[in-house]
Amino acid sequence: MNPILSRRRFLSLMAAGAASATGLAQAATSTAAQTATDGRTPVVVLTGYPDEVVSRFEAAFEKAHPEYRLQMVWRMPHEALPYLRQPHQAGVDVYWHASPRTYAALAKEGALRKLDIDRTGLPDRIGKAQLADPDGYYTVTEMAGYGFIVNTQALKARQLPIPADWTDLADPRYAGLIALPSPAKVGFAPPIVEIVLQAYGWEKGWALWSEIAGNAFLLNQGSTFVTDEVASGRRPIGISIDFFSASAIANGAPLQFVYPRHSGMNPAHIAITAEAPNPDGARAFARFVLSPEGQRILAHPDIRKLPVRPSVYADLPASYFNPFIAARDGVFDFDAEASLPRVGLTTAVFEQMLSAPQADLAALWNRIHKAEAAGIDVTAARAALGKPPLNEADAGEDGLRLAFRNRLEGSVAETVTAAESRWRVNADWQRAVARAVLERKQA
Amino acid sequence: MRLANKLAPSLFALLATLTASARAEDAPPTREAFAQPVVELSDQDRERFFRGRSLFRQSWVAAPASKETLAGLGPLYNRLACASCHQKNGRGHAPDEPGERMQSMLVRLSVPGANEHGGPKPHPRYGDQLNEEGIPGVPGEGRAEIRWQELRVKLADGTTVSLRKPHMRFVDLAYGPLDKVQTSPRVSPPVFGLGLLEALSDETLEAMAAEAKGDGVKGKVNRVWDAAAGKNVVGRFGLKANAPNVRQQSAGAFLGDLGITSPLFPAENCMPGQTRCRQMPSAGHPELSAQQLDEVEFYLAHLAAPERRNREDAQVRRGETLFAQAGCAQCHRPELKTGDHPRFPALGHRTIAPYTDLLLHDMGPALADHRSDYQANGREWRTPPLWGIGLIGVVNEKTHFLHDGRARNFEEAILWHGGEARTARGRYARFTKDERTALQAFIQSL
Repeated sequence: MNPILSRRRFLSLMAAGAASATGLAQAATSTAAQTATDGRTPVVVLTGYPDEVVSRFEAAFEKAHPEYRLQMVWRMPHEALPYLRQPHQAGVDVYWHASPRTYAALAKEGALRKLDIDRTGLPDRIGKAQLADPDGYYTVTEMAGYGFIVNTQALKARQLPIPADWTDLADPRYAGLIALPSPAKVGFAPPIVEIVLQAYGWEKGWALWSEIAGNAFLLNQGSTFVTDEVASGRRPIGISIDFFSASAIANGAPLQFVYPRHSGMNPAHIAITAEAPNPDGARAFARFVLSPEGQRILAHPDIRKLPVRPSVYADLPASYFNPFIAARDGVFDFDAEASLPRVGLTTAVFEQMLSAPQADLAALWNRIHKAEAAGIDVTAARAALGKPPLNEADAGEDGLRLAFRNRLEGSVAETVTAAESRWRVNADWQRAVARAVLERKQA
Repeated sequence: MRLANKLAPSLFALLATLTASARAEDAPPTREAFAQPVVELSDQDRERFFRGRSLFRQSWVAAPASKETLAGLGPLYNRLACASCHQKNGRGHAPDEPGERMQSMLVRLSVPGANEHGGPKPHPRYGDQLNEEGIPGVPGEGRAEIRWQELRVKLADGTTVSLRKPHMRFVDLAYGPLDKVQTSPRVSPPVFGLGLLEALSDETLEAMAAEAKGDGVKGKVNRVWDAAAGKNVVGRFGLKANAPNVRQQSAGAFLGDLGITSPLFPAENCMPGQTRCRQMPSAGHPELSAQQLDEVEFYLAHLAAPERRNREDAQVRRGETLFAQAGCAQCHRPELKTGDHPRFPALGHRTIAPYTDLLLHDMGPALADHRSDYQANGREWRTPPLWGIGLIGVVNEKTHFLHDGRARNFEEAILWHGGEARTARGRYARFTKDERTALQAFIQSL
C-alpha cells in the first residue's frame, strides 16, 4: 500500500523545496494517498453542449466555486424534455443549452422554478428577440447568428461576388456552390427556414427558398461539416450558424462569415428545475454563466459564441462581431418567439417540397435560368416551382402545428404524416407543371 | 517551454501569437495542425474520415437514448467524449492545483501480478483505471488529486531549474479502500501520426532493439495481447507500448475512458462488487458497432503529423546537431521507413520523422511508476514520438509533458530523464546556455 500523505506531511514536503538531481529519484516514489471526501456538493447540469464548451465552463466554475462539483449529463436537444419528465426530474438541477422550444415547453409544464438572479447589465431584448423569459423562468446565456460562411478565395477564383443577403443566393451563378444544411436533419438549421419566411413573407419566402435550394448542395450533417465543405473550396458558400465558422476562422481557416441583412439569433438558455436538489448550487452556476467571467469564456477560439452581456464586448478583440450594434440596423429583427409555434411545420414542408426532390428541383431551376438567359418567358414555370403546398393561414392552423411541434432539433420523424404525403404530392405536381411549361417553351 | 509561457496568460495572447507566427512563416501552423489527413483522400474516404471525426468528437449519452448509435456511456467513465481528453487531437494536461479535476488525465490501477494474457492485473474493486464519473444512479469511483512539490536542480553552469513532482491522493472513493494498489497517472497523449507508426514493421522495431547503442541505451520491444488475433504480438501504442494497433488502442479507450463496449471488448467495465454498475441497461451488444470502430480507426490512422517549421534556421540546425550529439536521437529516431500497412496501403513505404523508436527504455527511478505492463517493468516507458511537439502550446494551450504532465517545458522534461537516458541528460546539463537554447529551438521546430 502506498503511504498515506497527510496534508501536514504534504505541506512539509512542499516546504522542503530544493532537491539535488539524485534526490529526485528517492522523492519520486509513488505517494498515492487515500482520504475520505473533498466535501463538494454536486450540481447536476443537463446539457447538449459539446466538450469545448462543457470542459471550459466546468473548470472555470469549479475554480470560482470550490464548494460545488459539476456533474454534466449530456443529452441531445430533443431528449431533454422526456429526460426532465422522469420522476424528480432525474435529479437534474440545471438545464443549459440552445433549444428554445424546450424551455418554453418546460416552463409551460411547471417543470422550472424562477431563476431569481440579478439581471443587472443584461438586456431583455436584442432586435425583436427576447433575451429573458418575461415570467422569469429562463434566460438567454449566449447567442449565435445565422448567415453565410464564404471562402473568399474560392469565390474570387470563380469571379463570383460575396453574397450579402438571401436574395443574392438565388443567383444562377451560384448553382451547385451553396452548402445547405438540410433543415429536417441538422439541429441548428430549422430557424433559417423561418428567417427567410419572416423577412420576405410566406409566398415570396417560399419562392426564394425554392430557388436557393435549387442552387444548393444539401448536407445531412451539421456541426463543422458546412465549414469543412466551404473551407475545402468545393462549395464556396455555406449557410450556417456563426460560431462554427468563427471558431474555424479563429483557428486559422481562410474563411469569412457574412451576416445577411436579415439574420436571426439562435439563443441558448439556462433554467433551474422545479425539483432541483441543489437550487443554491444551480443558481451559483447560472450566475457564473452570466457573469463577465463566464461570458468571456464564450469568446474562446474553440467556442466563439456571442455573449449576452454587452459590457463584455469591450474586452474582446475589435473584430469580434457585436450583435447589439448590428441589431440597431435591423439585422436581428427576426422574431424567434413568433416562429416557435410553426417552425416544426415549416421544416417538414421544406423537406417535402425542397429537400427530398432536390436533384430534380435543381435540374428544373437550371433549365429556367438558361431559358431566361435566352430571353424565353418561363414565368409560369418559375411560379410553379416556388409555390408552397399550403398557404400561410393553413400553416397557422393549430391542429396542424401541433402535429409537428415535437419535431425538435435533431429529431427525425420515423413515419411520414398524411399532411407530409400531401405536400410531397403537391410539390411533385408543381414540378410537373414547371416541366410542362419548359417543354412547351422548348426550354 | 518559453512559447507556452508566453501563451499562458490569456486567450488573446494566444491569438496574438498565432498572428505573429502567421507573419513569420510561409505556411503558418494553425490550431487545427493536428486535424489534417495524412494523404489526399478520395471523396469516399474523406466522408469516412469525417464520420470517424464525428465519433471522436461526439459526447456520448447513457442508455436508454433515442439514438442508440450514440449511446452507451458508462455506467462508469472518465469523460463524455474522446475529444475531451484528446482536445484537438493533441496532448492533455495535468491539474495545476489540488482541487482541480483531472480533465484530460486518468489514473491506471492494478495490483501486483499479471492477468491471463500477461498484462496488468486489475484492482479487484476498481478495475484497471479510476473512473471518476458514473451515469445517474451509479456512483463514480472517486477522484484523484494531484499536489505538486517544487524541486530545484542545478546545471553545470550554475543555472537553477525548477521541477515539480506529483503527489497523488484519492478522495471520495465509492467502492471501498484501494489497499495495495499500483497507480500510474497518465496525461492523454496526442493521437496524430498513428497510422504511420502502425506501418512500421515488426522487423524494423526488432532491428532497432537489437542494434548496439552507446551510453548504455538498450531498448526492447513490448509483446502484448492482440484481442482480435488471440495471441501476443509486438506492442506499439500506449505509454508503455501495451497496445498492438490503433484499433485495439481505440477500443480500449472507448471501454476504459467512456465505458462503451465494442466488438473487441464486449463486456461492460463493471467490477463484480459494483452492483449498480452491473444493473444498468446497455445500449447494445456491443455499444460501438464494428463499422463505428472502423471509422474511428480510419480517422486516427489517417491523422497527419504536422510539418516541421523553421528547419533551415541556424539555431534550429545547431540544435539538431546537439540533439544527436547529446545522444537523444538514439531513442528519439529522426528517420524511419514504414513497411506495408496491414489495412491502409497508402500509409506504407514512406519515410517518416517521428522521433521515436517505439521501444521500451528504463527511464530511471524518478519517472518510475512501479507498475509492470506486459514486458515493460515499472521503470520502463515507450519513447514518445516528438513530432508535432513544438505545436502543443499553440494547439493545446498548456504544455505538460511526460506521462503525468509534470514537465512544464522541454527543459524540465529533459531533466527528468534518467536510466538509459541518464548520459544524454548529463550532456544536456553540461551544455552552455546557448546550446540548451538551440536544442530547445530544434525541439520547438518539430
